Amino acid sequence: MQPSRVEPADRELMARLAAGEREALAPLMERHYRRVYRVALSYLRQREDALDVVQETFVKAFQNAARWDGSAEAGPWLARIAVNLSIDRWRRNKRRLQTFAPMPEDDHAEVLAAAGDGADRSLQGREAQERVRAALAVLPERQRAIVVLRHYQELSLEEIASALGMSLGTVKSSLHRALHRMRAGLQAEARP
Amino acid sequence: MLEHLRLRRRIALLAADVLDGREREDALAHVERCARCQGELAELRVLVDALEQDPLRAAEPDVPLAVMVARVEREVARALLTPERRPRWWLVALPAACALLAVAVLVPTLVERARRPPQAARAAIPPSEASPLVAEDALRRIERNLARENAARYLSEAGELLVAVAAKGPDCDRSDGRLDVGEAPERSRELLERRRLVLEPAGEAVAGARGVLDDVEMALRDVAELPSCVKRRDVDRLRESVERRQLLMRIRLMTRELEG
Repeated sequence: MQPSRVEPADRELMARLAAGEREALAPLMERHYRRVYRVALSYLRQREDALDVVQETFVKAFQNAARWDGSAEAGPWLARIAVNLSIDRWRRNKRRLQTFAPMPEDDHAEVLAAAGDGADRSLQGREAQERVRAALAVLPERQRAIVVLRHYQELSLEEIASALGMSLGTVKSSLHRALHRMRAGLQAEARP
Repeated sequence: MLEHLRLRRRIALLAADVLDGREREDALAHVERCARCQGELAELRVLVDALEQDPLRAAEPDVPLAVMVARVEREVARALLTPERRPRWWLVALPAACALLAVAVLVPTLVERARRPPQAARAAIPPSEASPLVAEDALRRIERNLARENAARYLSEAGELLVAVAAKGPDCDRSDGRLDVGEAPERSRELLERRRLVLEPAGEAVAGARGVLDDVEMALRDVAELPSCVKRRDVDRLRESVERRQLLMRIRLMTRELEG
């Protein structure tokens, strides 16, 4: 994806947030709500958790607006906050699931149904998506974040490196490992 | 062979479409010569296509924007009321300055008082006729919100504590298979005390949460009675009880409801 230019309005809104102006939240959220939600949902695969992460992301954006580097884009900066919060939540959920039996699943199927209008909804397609979901679930948290930012958010490797505080080389090798691990997982599942 | 190993690493990046220029050309040229790499690239491309066709990529949040904005604004307002506890220079400097000032003001006064004979007690000052600054119903609303926030915090902390206990800490007695639950019993007692002092008087404000609060209380009582080095089966029993009552999920839902 070609990175889009920073619109002056984004810059202006961030400056207003940095000055403590709460009214700037609504227009900023209007622009980035969907994107932040999709980052969190792709990572966590749980609607409720994703909505919590959205909320926390914008609260953090307000609190840390003064630290935003005006030369970067606000979108990837928000995605960075969202993915880091998602990783934190993933860890907490994992700890809880290791301890307790899984809680009733979120309405994942409904999310898929709502999101998939007009898309290929064949049983085979759904099964393939489930397998991908399962393969994604076994990735270590950073590799999972890289796959989500690359293949769900279409960030460039440089943007991913900046978002996750990693070197470009580490992002490349992690993406390589993640895709091979997922491929191996899918192959193992496909075997009779 | 070394060349093959070097370029083979790039196949996943080729499938992910993140190579360009020379790197991409080299990788493509290698794939053309390497049958095994062709198969690998094809499989990785199927995987990448599946990822990029995941319907979640286009999922729409089902909470309206206005509602989410309201939630964020409420959290921001709350955060502004209770700023983060970070060590700041003035947190150290201010008490020190106050202490110096107190010494400078109080010491001469006390010395002076010690020198003088005792004086007659001053005439009592009549209490000022305070006029209410906040309307009564607004006060009631504030109290209600505070009570609900307290209840939400209590439930959330109790949930974390139950998870921590059931997570099975390190062995404290390997021979007997006992586990260390640390300060969880003491922390449970504190939470139970907090419920008695803070939540019980809240009455109607948290009436809807009564069922969850009662179940949480039962679980906390079980934890409070544990020794710090506890039998594994006691922890298992506690975990089963929490699961049976779906306590964590109910805590989570009720916390959200109380937070409005």
